[in-house]
Amino acid sequence: MAASGSHLAVFAPVGATGRVDAVVRRLADAIALGVLADGEQLPSEAELAGLLGVSTVTLREALMALRQQGLVETRRGRGGGSFVRTPSEPLELGARLRAYAVDELRDLGDHYAAIAGAAARLAARRALPADVAPLLRSLDDMAAVSGRVAGRAAGGPSGGPSVDAGSAALIRLEGRFHVEVAAASQSARLTQEEIRSQADIGPLLWLPYGDADGHDEVTAQHRAIVEAILRGDPDQARDLAERHVCEAMERLIELRLAVD
Amino acid sequence: MPQTGMHSGPAGATAAADPADAEAVRRAAARVRDTVEGVFAALLDVRDRTAALVAGRSPGPAGLSRSDLAELRPVLFGYLGGLIAGIGFIAAPGLLADAPWYLEWWQEDASGSRVQLLRDLDPASSAFYDYTHWGWYTGPLEGSERTICGPYVDYLCTDEYSLTLSVPVTVEGVFAGVAAADVLVRRFEGAVVPALREVPAPAFVVNAAGRVVASTTAKWLGGSVYRGEPGFARHPVGDLPLSLVVAGTPGG
Repeated sequence: MAASGSHLAVFAPVGATGRVDAVVRRLADAIALGVLADGEQLPSEAELAGLLGVSTVTLREALMALRQQGLVETRRGRGGGSFVRTPSEPLELGARLRAYAVDELRDLGDHYAAIAGAAARLAARRALPADVAPLLRSLDDMAAVSGRVAGRAAGGPSGGPSVDAGSAALIRLEGRFHVEVAAASQSARLTQEEIRSQADIGPLLWLPYGDADGHDEVTAQHRAIVEAILRGDPDQARDLAERHVCEAMERLIELRLAVD
Repeated sequence: MPQTGMHSGPAGATAAADPADAEAVRRAAARVRDTVEGVFAALLDVRDRTAALVAGRSPGPAGLSRSDLAELRPVLFGYLGGLIAGIGFIAAPGLLADAPWYLEWWQEDASGSRVQLLRDLDPASSAFYDYTHWGWYTGPLEGSERTICGPYVDYLCTDEYSLTLSVPVTVEGVFAGVAAADVLVRRFEGAVVPALREVPAPAFVVNAAGRVVASTTAKWLGGSVYRGEPGFARHPVGDLPLSLVVAGTPGG
């Protein structure tokens, strides 16, 4: 698979409360941060409602809000459907973050850390080389993308789309990496929970660091998780995976606290 | 009835020495073999029918198209259900005239209806599903006549703990894609565990890498890894990449 794990996350069922808002928030994050690419066609209304576990009425309401925000364009007739529109203005992170209360972020982080930790622990006990191969490939793919991003940042022209292709690709790869760790646990339920956590907060949580130090630190954390799984060290794998999520959430909460 | 734990001393020899126990092990291995071979028989049929479709066409714009592969549907539907939760043909990239990548893949949804699995197969899309990395594709591509992948968490198709079995489809020596089927581990268990239970000792099926597929002991459940253990012996399962591991019996 390439990036489709991250799409599964975007389209995983939403919770019972505030369904229209939840659908809007999730798709808006995915579009604003480039997890869904500009011009990409969304599944049909019936299919998308089915994937998200909401009624078509709820979905239509959410799509209407997204159209108003300019994030989705709907064309009628043959070849019609709803298409992703990546905003041309720079990403306004504050606007995205305002949709989340600090308490909610903290709770999402607690839950996600528990899932990621438990999955990594079981992966270290159960993974065979064939289960680790996709993780290694994801690490290589992330390194290749960050190489390109770093190269452009050093000498390339500034401006362009609000979220560059490199950071969107990194968010997708990060999501894929975590789903692969969860799958290595051999637990379908933990994998489904991992996908759900990513759906709820993934694109913001895995927003790449702007500075090289932060980026290197995240890369080192990924490598350490994979190495603990390869070594068959369950406690270490769990601690590292929990810390990885907790630190990412702490950074996101700091950003959230900075906006009113 | 089932003796638990390891056997030692004279008592330990009973499972090995008792012809009835050896017979139970043989039968259990045969049940596992027949269960898996049944799925492969379906795949060989799908393979032959697909190869016939491909062989009738020339490469290029007038070549095989997606709609031609729809002719496989009655055959696929006939095999879907029971042990087989998903089945189809996965085209080698570039095989079809009207799509660079394509799956003619059908599965049962939660309510038991047949649905076609639709994945984004546009290489330019961010959701592009590149199936050529998966073992069920690379195995047949690299010449394996019968590939058994998993058990693994199949989060892209069944969303469950599954096995994927696959065979290559070749036409005049040229690889055209794979015929494959998904088998849910819980259904596989249902098919083989009754025969494993007839073995009067802990018994379980492992894949070539040592991953347990189905078992009669909580110590070695499906998903765990068997790395060899004193007092356990491996028995072959036909010529499949699977073994039956039984406590207290000499290996075959």
